[in-house]
Amino acid sequence: MSAHRDPVPAAAEALAAYLQLEEAIDGSLNGVISDTESSARSIIQNVRRLHDSATTLATYLDGTSLQAGDLGKEIFESVAFLGDIGAFIKRLPEKIERDLSSVQALVTEIKFLNEMTADVKAISLQSHLLAINAAVEAGRAGTVGSAFKVVADEMRRLAGTSSTMAVKINKGLARAQEIVENGIESTIKESAAQLAEVSTAAATIDKLQNNFEDMSQYYKTRLAIVIKHNEDLVRDIGEALGQVQYQDVVRQSIERIRIAAGRRNDAMRTLLLMQGEDADEEAGVPLQLELILKDYLAEEQKHRHSVRQTQGSAAPLKIELF
Amino acid sequence: MAKTIMIVDDSSTMLMSLRNSLEIAGFKVLEANDGSVALKTLQGGAKPDLIITDINMPNMGGIEFIGKARALAGFRFIPILALTTESQQGKRDEAKKLGATGWLLKPVSGTDLNKIIKQVLPGA
Repeated sequence: MSAHRDPVPAAAEALAAYLQLEEAIDGSLNGVISDTESSARSIIQNVRRLHDSATTLATYLDGTSLQAGDLGKEIFESVAFLGDIGAFIKRLPEKIERDLSSVQALVTEIKFLNEMTADVKAISLQSHLLAINAAVEAGRAGTVGSAFKVVADEMRRLAGTSSTMAVKINKGLARAQEIVENGIESTIKESAAQLAEVSTAAATIDKLQNNFEDMSQYYKTRLAIVIKHNEDLVRDIGEALGQVQYQDVVRQSIERIRIAAGRRNDAMRTLLLMQGEDADEEAGVPLQLELILKDYLAEEQKHRHSVRQTQGSAAPLKIELF
Repeated sequence: MAKTIMIVDDSSTMLMSLRNSLEIAGFKVLEANDGSVALKTLQGGAKPDLIITDINMPNMGGIEFIGKARALAGFRFIPILALTTESQQGKRDEAKKLGATGWLLKPVSGTDLNKIIKQVLPGA
């Protein structure tokens, strides 16, 4: 048979043990507040360091972007210069063609002049014959024709000089024609090889320019992506700092619980102290507990903020400017 | 020149969180851990461009602080924002009557905070 204990002392013992438990829980809740606070502060410090690193990275990226811009400008100018050279090289065959045409026109002109020297020779010969005939006629005229004979002799000498000069001009033009024609031949031979090289150089310059533009675009895109990620990082850091404020929201929530629990424990302590000696006082305890509950719920209502707390009722405005 | 913002809160976590958010956004920050300390700082010559205050604090709460700060010479038009867990309309109306510029519920994100600051502090 088990021993029966007096129900009143048993309830009193239970109540005393309950109050001890409550004190322990309250101490733990206080510890939770302290722990979350120190953890929130550590998070803020870490997030701030993260932000400082992001800022350093952003500064570095800005510098890199500026340097890349300057370098790109220089390369672009160099490539543009190479492009001008390429364009000039591309026009070179046409220029050579034009120069050759001019030289060929010169050869045609030399040939024409050469033909004219034949006419000069013919005129000289005719002048020479005319001078001989004039000298014969002057001889027949005797003393009267002596002066005319001097003129005829002079004319014959001039015809001889003209003929000699015509021969010299003819030789000179023939040499000039030979030099120009030889020059054309060698230019045409060299041009064929040079044009092949020109074509290769122009293609290389085009390729270089395209490669540079591709590379430049590639790095610009990469840099833009990195900068975007860095901006996102800074934004998220700002959001994280805001989220840490939940520690204060939770702290205040726990503080309200502790206040209600403290009042409840005081009421229970009163009950324990009465030990059935004051029935009226004991009867007031349930009313006190009801009042504590009402006050607690009213306080909670004043601090509604989360979706969980505002379900089924209109959520208060999170931000309101007056 | 960087604008100065005074933050008033009895929670060290809140002060630290707000200080870092605001410094990152380029503001100078003054701190006070209740309304009474904040009021003394203002009376001592501090001239912040904006005040952000908690409502429930020991010694002097935010509502009383707003009323007393508004009564100080040179603080009639400086924007004062309440940042609190209090959501009841009665407290909002009281703060508004005493000259608060706006009411923000904790927690407030960095993006929202900067948006509001830009609205009440043009050019910030």
